Amino acid sequence: MSTPTSPPAVGQPVPPLERTITLTDMVAYAGATWDWHQLHYDPAYVAEKRLPGPVVDGQVFGALLVEMLQDWLGPDSFVQTIDFTFRNLMFAGETVRCEGQVVAVSEDAVEVAMSATILGSDGADDRFAVRPASARVLLGRADGTGRP
Amino acid sequence: MGLLTDEVRSLIGTRRVYTAPEPMGAAGGRYFSLAVGDDNPLYTDATFARDHGLPGVTLPPTLICETNQYAGLPADAEGYAGHTWGLSVPDTRQVRGGNRYTFGRRVRPDDVVTATWEITDATEKTNRAGADMLIVSSTATYTNQDGDFLAENTETIIFIALGAA
Repeated sequence: MSTPTSPPAVGQPVPPLERTITLTDMVAYAGATWDWHQLHYDPAYVAEKRLPGPVVDGQVFGALLVEMLQDWLGPDSFVQTIDFTFRNLMFAGETVRCEGQVVAVSEDAVEVAMSATILGSDGADDRFAVRPASARVLLGRADGTGRP
Repeated sequence: MGLLTDEVRSLIGTRRVYTAPEPMGAAGGRYFSLAVGDDNPLYTDATFARDHGLPGVTLPPTLICETNQYAGLPADAEGYAGHTWGLSVPDTRQVRGGNRYTFGRRVRPDDVVTATWEITDATEKTNRAGADMLIVSSTATYTNQDGDFLAENTETIIFIALGAA
């Protein structure tokens, strides 16, 4: 993790983040968030609901998008706002790719449009998990400014 | 249409307040960062964090909006132990629409979180497939024991009528 040497520019792509989420990851996430809903780990429960597998908790995409932004902009940045709209369910064992592009830059902040795409077993784009998504990130500071 | 009943409309403004029984804790943040695969040293290396102007390690930003730690509620029949409104809309299926997070500052291990949930809106629409939808928006405001604003989470739950076009 390092701070970029040049300020972001409009149109610049954000280095993407790709992650395969296993059932083990999902059990760990369920524990870490105190969310033990069976939908996220119980094969018998999801079979009864006629789903193809345990469902990845949608809020994990928020965590991954923030990770992507912080890995890109370094420790002296602060995600002030982020929003994301869910499109499709993601299931245990699938891979998601988060990506983004700079849409606005000011002296002390950058705004980014983003999405999260679930990949098929052949590695090609299959369906959106999240779209649209956007964020405003403060630059040059590791912490926030209180209520915006 | 007809999903937006007077009963549903009357719920706008309903609030629930939860205060965590203990601080968030550094272990909780480290556990979350391991679970999502985020190795940012701001979460685990106090010297690194201080070198960037922070008082010490902080928790991954979105954790406060994802955890049920503050709720202190028992798990329901399906294992869920977090805040819900208990809304049941007959002949619909429920899906999540999305979230918007606003962060005031990074959450620290010694923060004791109070979450104030409020139903802020309920509207009715028809989707592209012709199905009626009830869209319920809620906001959680997270503060700490000193009244510091930490974050806000606006989330949308959608009830889609079954058996429609």
